[in-house]
Amino acid sequence: MTDDWKTYKPLLLPDLPGLTDIETYEKYEGYHALKTVLDNPDTWSPEEVVLQVKDANIRGRGGAGFNAGLKWSFMPPPDGKPRYLACNGDESEPGTFKDRKIFEFNPHLFIEGAIIAAYAIRAEQIYVYIRGEYRAWVRILQKAVDQAYQKGYLGKNILGADFNADMTLHMGAGAYICGEESSLMESLEGKRGYPRVKPPFPAQRGLWGRPTTINNIETLANVPLVIRNGSEWYRRIGAETHPGPILYGISGHINKPGVYEYPSGMSVHTLIHEVAGGIRKGKKLKALIPGGSSTPPLRADVLDGLTMDSDSLRKAGSMMGTAGMVILDEDTDMVDVVWRISHFYHHESCGQCTPCREGTGWLEKTLRKIRNGDGEMRDLDLLLAICNRMEGRTICALADAAAWPVRYSIERFRDEFEAKCKQTVYALS
Amino acid sequence: MPEIFIDYQRFEFEQPGKVLQFMLDAGLDLPFFCYHPCLSIPANCRQCVVKAGMPVLNREKGTFELDDKGERIIRYFPKLMTACSLDLTDGMVIHTHHSDPLVKQAQADNLEFILINHPLDCPICDQAGECPLQILTYKYGPEGSRFEHKKVHKPKAFRLGPRVVLDAERCINCTRCVRFTDEISKSHQLTIVSRGDKNYPLTAHGQEFDDPYSLNTVDICPVGALTSADFRFKARVWEMNQTPGIDITNGKGCNTYLWTRDNLVLRITPRQNDHVNSHWMPDSGRLAYQRFNENRVHRPHIKLDGNDQVRTSWNNAILTLREQLEKTEASEILAIGSPHAPVEDNYAFRKFFKMHGVSEFFFVPDIRPGSGDGFLLSDDQTPNTNGVRLLDFKETTCKNLSSKIQGDKYKLIVLLDDSLFDRPDWPAIDPGNSYFTVWATNHTPTTAAAHLVIPVTCAAEHAASYVNVDGRIQRTVAAKETRYTNRRLNLEMSMGRLDHYGTQFDNWVDEKNRIDCIPAWEFFKKLDAEARFDWNSSREVLNEISRTLPVFEGVSYERMDTLLGVPLSISRNTPVDQKKTIEPKP
Repeated sequence: MTDDWKTYKPLLLPDLPGLTDIETYEKYEGYHALKTVLDNPDTWSPEEVVLQVKDANIRGRGGAGFNAGLKWSFMPPPDGKPRYLACNGDESEPGTFKDRKIFEFNPHLFIEGAIIAAYAIRAEQIYVYIRGEYRAWVRILQKAVDQAYQKGYLGKNILGADFNADMTLHMGAGAYICGEESSLMESLEGKRGYPRVKPPFPAQRGLWGRPTTINNIETLANVPLVIRNGSEWYRRIGAETHPGPILYGISGHINKPGVYEYPSGMSVHTLIHEVAGGIRKGKKLKALIPGGSSTPPLRADVLDGLTMDSDSLRKAGSMMGTAGMVILDEDTDMVDVVWRISHFYHHESCGQCTPCREGTGWLEKTLRKIRNGDGEMRDLDLLLAICNRMEGRTICALADAAAWPVRYSIERFRDEFEAKCKQTVYALS
Repeated sequence: MPEIFIDYQRFEFEQPGKVLQFMLDAGLDLPFFCYHPCLSIPANCRQCVVKAGMPVLNREKGTFELDDKGERIIRYFPKLMTACSLDLTDGMVIHTHHSDPLVKQAQADNLEFILINHPLDCPICDQAGECPLQILTYKYGPEGSRFEHKKVHKPKAFRLGPRVVLDAERCINCTRCVRFTDEISKSHQLTIVSRGDKNYPLTAHGQEFDDPYSLNTVDICPVGALTSADFRFKARVWEMNQTPGIDITNGKGCNTYLWTRDNLVLRITPRQNDHVNSHWMPDSGRLAYQRFNENRVHRPHIKLDGNDQVRTSWNNAILTLREQLEKTEASEILAIGSPHAPVEDNYAFRKFFKMHGVSEFFFVPDIRPGSGDGFLLSDDQTPNTNGVRLLDFKETTCKNLSSKIQGDKYKLIVLLDDSLFDRPDWPAIDPGNSYFTVWATNHTPTTAAAHLVIPVTCAAEHAASYVNVDGRIQRTVAAKETRYTNRRLNLEMSMGRLDHYGTQFDNWVDEKNRIDCIPAWEFFKKLDAEARFDWNSSREVLNEISRTLPVFEGVSYERMDTLLGVPLSISRNTPVDQKKTIEPKP
């Protein structure tokens, strides 16, 4: 269904210069979706927007892949008190770098989507939580927000309708955990970024105890497309169960790394060999991490016929994640890769829950021991045991994200780990 | 009534609540570290995990689905749940380590995780013996550790503030201390710094942890990460007796434990009483232990001629005072009671001098407006102001009293345990020509000026009652022995072991450090030449008080012990302090 990818016209990041400027953006149907919604409140009631987006089945692009419209529908009926929309632009997982392209090339699309989302969930305050390191992109986005205020797309009585929305940018301070939705809220509230115990879920008790919806930047950027063209049109793009355009962030041992926009459900081989120009120096593929460092790595021999959508990847034993694909060639030392990923999670564990705080460090130290040539065969069983003890025993999913790459790498590349351990020279007594 | 099944046992519950608290109330065991009944629930230690499930409800019939054997089909949560944050729900099924091997394994796994970076320096750790981590590891923990790497190193013996020392390596990041400063003392002084296994509690840069309640964090710390700068390395907890007492530095009367060894009070910690202080007490009350041990008046002191006081015998002291009383008219006696002394002593003092014809009794309350905080620190600096008031002592001020002393009217001044000369508003005068007799626990400028000093027992040495600012009468238990009391004989002794498996005879007391003093009521009994007082213990004094004074009706040591103090109905319209009590947390 994606054979015609070569003729695909990008929707999120169209090849139009100067889209960061509001005039240019408006010229290409910019803010039309918002106008459509606000000018026709009878046909486009908030409930109808939620219904359309739910029907379009925009799967959350932040990693979990949850239907965005369904998430909106969890918001309780308004009670006159504040409600919030929080936009998650804290992408900081190794291998994931797609949202910043939206900030850089098409910020107004995201802003428009966020305003529509705020209308749909009846929130008047939008927070955009951006990774602090994205200083340059924050400037671009802030300029775009200022323009939107000037043009009356943000502020009081937007486009003359009885709807107010304010957008505030908030820069993170360098913690990966603040990309987790509940610690993002804690961080926005000015607290230490510790994930919250769920339930209550954000739609019940979110920012400052009020109903809150949290969406990924790319997810929101899809919303104007649905409003403009209808949910049926949107559902026809890409894979059936995971429709829509996807920003594939391809990195690793690849000739043309970068962010590419194509429909979902693209063949992995097409993406690697045709879109991104093949493996560097003509080497063979060894492994693929399909959606950011937390998704389980896949061996090259299971990639035939594999497509980039959640169903196909789940069958293969991995996840869609953020579609941040990391390509690893045949020379890669998997132990080294897994150690590096573990190092990241050790560094980024917030330290709240015991299994994650202690387990991530233990994983890293054991992997470092193997990598440094001091590993023993029993260390592999120990690693799997630690993974067992971490998964599902913490407040948020960081422990799972830290354990999966280790578990599945050992399962899928055990020969390499064993070979490394067998090289160890040590005294018997 | 809603029901819940824990380890196949059925329980009923009335109030909504959390599973862990319900289990603790029901006397069931479940290990936990971060949970505290007075603090918010972060569920971060992950120690209290249980397997939880709900029966499957058939919505059409409104009944629970049953299996072939006619039992409810239970749908379990996919993950283990933390009992501390799990709401009690009708029909819920809980499996703890007693009935589910996975839960047992998870609890052991969690302890293994906690211990990998924990120093395991129990032999030199102050917390050993009363350490939840130690206790729970013995009970639920793994056999050994599989961790073969270098542990994370963090600051050790770091002074957080004037009273609290941090050993960050021992910290298990339960955040109880942080939540305490955020939610209870509201000083917001502590936070967790850094991330992952490197994090530990710390104050903001350049700030000291000088919260007036800072030592409570030492109590609630489930490991030896926060220790008291004062008590550090002084004694092992299993070498001490813990005896219930009352904080006497303050009008609030926080309930305490006095920790004693060899007849010295070594530390004071709070004792739970939801009517008064919940689980907490101010730092100032904890540091009062020194006055029980040091600078005590030991044997009666008498001023013969000139200014030198010498020790004298009890016999001589009694004869001297009787002689003074004989040659003084009742109207020439100035009798001053004390808000520092207990109800019994003030009563005996008043009764004795009333028999001698004295009609007016004074006392000087020590209320310093602004020094209270509406929580556990009161404006009242003394423990028994209300008690003295209820015994019909007249309130006066330092200024009025000192002018009375300076006048020629009074030939004999009798002052129950109160160091008036230390009061900030005491004018610099001396008692002049009158004979000045003081009953005192400690040497002070007041005792230095006295002609006769009678040593009396302190709050750590007698069983006696005090009425706090809210009108609650509470009592102390003797924690230290004096020359004349033997706690082992009169069985007012507490258990010698923390686990409460000890007996009343295995205590850490010996012949050292026993002060030569007696309770004031006992002195007045001896002083009375006609032997009109028949009290044999303070218990009998209080019984007489409750028989004769209506406001104390029904008050007894037994009731005070079982009810954790008895509220008196004080109808006086002279409030001692803002009447603020802690709301006991449901």
